[in-house]
Amino acid sequence: MTNQEKHFWPPSDPSVVRTELINNTKKGGSTLRTIVVSLILLSILIIVGIIGKVIIDGNDQTQWGYVAAILAFILSATGGAPMVAIAPLIAKASWARPISRIAHIIGSVSIVNVIIMIPILRMLPPLIVDGTRRRSIWFEAPNYSPHFWDTLGLIMLAITGIALLYSSSIPDFAVMRDSSDGIRKKIGKILSRGFVGTTVQWSKLRMRIGILSTLYFFVLVFVHFIISTDLSMSMVPGWRDAIYPMYHTMSGIQGGVASVIILCWIVRKYGKNQNYITINQFWALGRIMFATSLMWIYFFYSAFIVFWYGRSESDAAWLDLLIRGPMMYVFIIAMLFSFVIPWWWLIWNRVRNSFNGPFIGAIIVLIGLLLDRIRLYVPSWSVDPKLIHDKWLTEIPKILYPDIWDIMIFIGSISLVFLIIIGLSRILPLIGVWEIHQLNLLSKPGKFMKAHGIRVAKPD
Amino acid sequence: MQQRKSVTQEYTNSVLLNGTLETPKWWPYLVSILLFFVLVGIGLFFVQIYFGLGVTGLSRPVYWGLYITTFVFWVGISHAGIMISAILRLTQAEWRRPVTRAAEILTIFSLLTALVFPLIHAGRTWRIIYWLLPYDFSRGIWPNIRSPLFMDPIAIGTYLTGSTLFLFIALIPDLAVLRDRTTGLRKGFYTILAMGWRGNPRQWKMQVVGGILLSALMLPIFVSVHSIVSWDFAVTIGVEGWHSTIFAPYFVIGAVHSGVSAVVTMMALMRWGWKWNDFIRPEHFDALARLLTVVATAWLGFTFLELIFALYGLDAPEIALREMQIFQYPWNMLFLLFLLTGYIIPVPMWLFKRVRTNIALMFWSSIMVNIGMWLERFLIIVPGLARKTPFVFTWEAYSPSWFEWYILFWSFCWVTLLMLLFSKVFPLVPLFEQKESEVFSDSVKIGRANVPTIFREEEE
Repeated sequence: MTNQEKHFWPPSDPSVVRTELINNTKKGGSTLRTIVVSLILLSILIIVGIIGKVIIDGNDQTQWGYVAAILAFILSATGGAPMVAIAPLIAKASWARPISRIAHIIGSVSIVNVIIMIPILRMLPPLIVDGTRRRSIWFEAPNYSPHFWDTLGLIMLAITGIALLYSSSIPDFAVMRDSSDGIRKKIGKILSRGFVGTTVQWSKLRMRIGILSTLYFFVLVFVHFIISTDLSMSMVPGWRDAIYPMYHTMSGIQGGVASVIILCWIVRKYGKNQNYITINQFWALGRIMFATSLMWIYFFYSAFIVFWYGRSESDAAWLDLLIRGPMMYVFIIAMLFSFVIPWWWLIWNRVRNSFNGPFIGAIIVLIGLLLDRIRLYVPSWSVDPKLIHDKWLTEIPKILYPDIWDIMIFIGSISLVFLIIIGLSRILPLIGVWEIHQLNLLSKPGKFMKAHGIRVAKPD
Repeated sequence: MQQRKSVTQEYTNSVLLNGTLETPKWWPYLVSILLFFVLVGIGLFFVQIYFGLGVTGLSRPVYWGLYITTFVFWVGISHAGIMISAILRLTQAEWRRPVTRAAEILTIFSLLTALVFPLIHAGRTWRIIYWLLPYDFSRGIWPNIRSPLFMDPIAIGTYLTGSTLFLFIALIPDLAVLRDRTTGLRKGFYTILAMGWRGNPRQWKMQVVGGILLSALMLPIFVSVHSIVSWDFAVTIGVEGWHSTIFAPYFVIGAVHSGVSAVVTMMALMRWGWKWNDFIRPEHFDALARLLTVVATAWLGFTFLELIFALYGLDAPEIALREMQIFQYPWNMLFLLFLLTGYIIPVPMWLFKRVRTNIALMFWSSIMVNIGMWLERFLIIVPGLARKTPFVFTWEAYSPSWFEWYILFWSFCWVTLLMLLFSKVFPLVPLFEQKESEVFSDSVKIGRANVPTIFREEEE
């Protein structure tokens, strides 16, 4: 089998692409219906869980660590996904075109974060506790600054994510308007906003996507910065770690890449999109996930070495709380799943250059990400609130296990994420029609002497 | 790649070898002047050995001053090579081709220069051996192998060895070209170095594989070098402003910022000096400026985090240090200059394509960046030591002597001289990369636009 045969390529006929991808939005039998109904029922658990938690643990801040960890996990696993589309856009790389819609869709589910943030708002201590201002990134700002800015940040991220998804979908809405009927035609007509593909419209669209992508990146970094510091670091006396927000962001991007890989694998396999999502995408995504795994260990080690070497009381307390204390085993497994296994797995080109290799790696990374967030958030919230003004932590809290409400919130939020994704896939093709057209225009498989490859065009 | 002009292989050879096989008129004059300054600097070094460190401004409590600042600065510049050459090679960035050789030799010469500074700083240079080697077995005195001061020379030595090997592998095809175009002693010299290169498929394959493997191996070394340099400071808890977890990535990103800027400076000088207008084109400056914009913005983010988390702890000494750094003369002037030259002036300039493709403006803005980056290192190292603290009874601000300023000037003359001498023996722009680029490049008509293309081989 030649390389060209092994590497599928989208059909070159635009009408075939259009028909195949638009028709995918209509597909779905009883299995899909069962899944959707199950997800709706499971999604309700998020509300039940939150209500139960508020009733049972509404006055005990130390019991809310798992909810904060779930928020951080969902933010990390979904928020970083659009970076898979944004980075290649900046680098003018065409390989990501078939999967950029998937990346944008995952990024647009940030609304789930806002829902989980609501009960956390009630439990998060204000800046002035017992008449004294606690350490935070807000310094002399108003008392409820973390509450306001964290919520606003999450809402901003959700809005930017949805705006990015919408902007990058306008040409496909126009296609739906022109080649569908019924409700899809109506939706296409409304949402395409008169897009007919003139030069000016394309130029404006590209500019809009570029601006929104840049904005999304900055909002993402900002949200990781405030969520990581307000919901974990500033809850622990003496924890001062300048690299922590960047570590949080980087592991969030790693999680986002993993989510994209998993959804691509599902869409390719069960959506019968073998011609559109090819080995090129998995190979490139595998490389990015490998690189982000290395970044994970680098950012972690940068903090670890300084605390380990410093040996001051606050340094030792950091190690006791997050590394060698009650969370030691969670930390070890998180490290194995976030770095050691993905690194050893994805280092092999044969693994990266396959469909299942990056998929397995992505699952491992997401498990590692969840455990990492538990390691960081649960002990931070478990610290006795009376100690918040101490110079450093003198009393390491015992390990806290999740209760039934935490589990319900976790299952409910994950279900809601999947429900939103499936819902969006009924309106929009999961693979951008116009992105495939552009891919076909800008890159073509070909031969150079004996080698198989791609001839890539890069317009200014 | 719109400015590409199709050239023949003969033309590439004749133009790119004009610095090696011929001598430009300005070359002997410039080399003589630089040699004079270098010899004066070496003389001053011996004067310092004779009179001791009293000739410098170093005194209680500022024991680390301009020499260590310059050491960190040159280690930073050395990051240009791997950033440009290895990372861009792995990511298959086409525009890297004329830039790689210059970046690699800048790495080697700046590392050689950096290594000199701890020797100069030690005062009695030979005493360095006490820190690095077990010098007295009978009394069981060993160097502290856990100290970053011990790890520094090992990391830099490894980086230097790896970079030299990396440069040599990439030089081999060009050495063969030189071998075939020279006579006498020079031919013998190139024959030995070319190691029997004939350009057969197997040799090419080995050369490419070697280059890629070395690229991948060099990346962790590249990151570790400046991280270890940063830990010289970060693991110290006794000096305010140094014990920060962000130092390792902050130093690395700062190093990339200054290193890539130095490559821009060098590229402009090469284009002007050897008139390589067909090979070093405005589009290359455009790409470098885009890269620099991203790197500089990331660096600014790290600067912000470093500053905000210094204040976050609400420790009075740390706040006092930052007040001194930002508001007290002369540090405030230096701080302002650092921000202006490191980011505020150059980066907004680079947002305009007209600036990015203007070589003179790129040259001056890249110099500006390196002024800012040198000041950054100075502001990290010196104020922390110079701040008034209890039980330190010498409260004079550190003021570098003319001796130290001359040695700083000497380092620039030394690196430039080495580069010029290198250019007389080896080509500064890789010939084979140019030819390869010529073969792989093409163009395709998309609509009305003629878009340049590049062939990329796929994984088998």
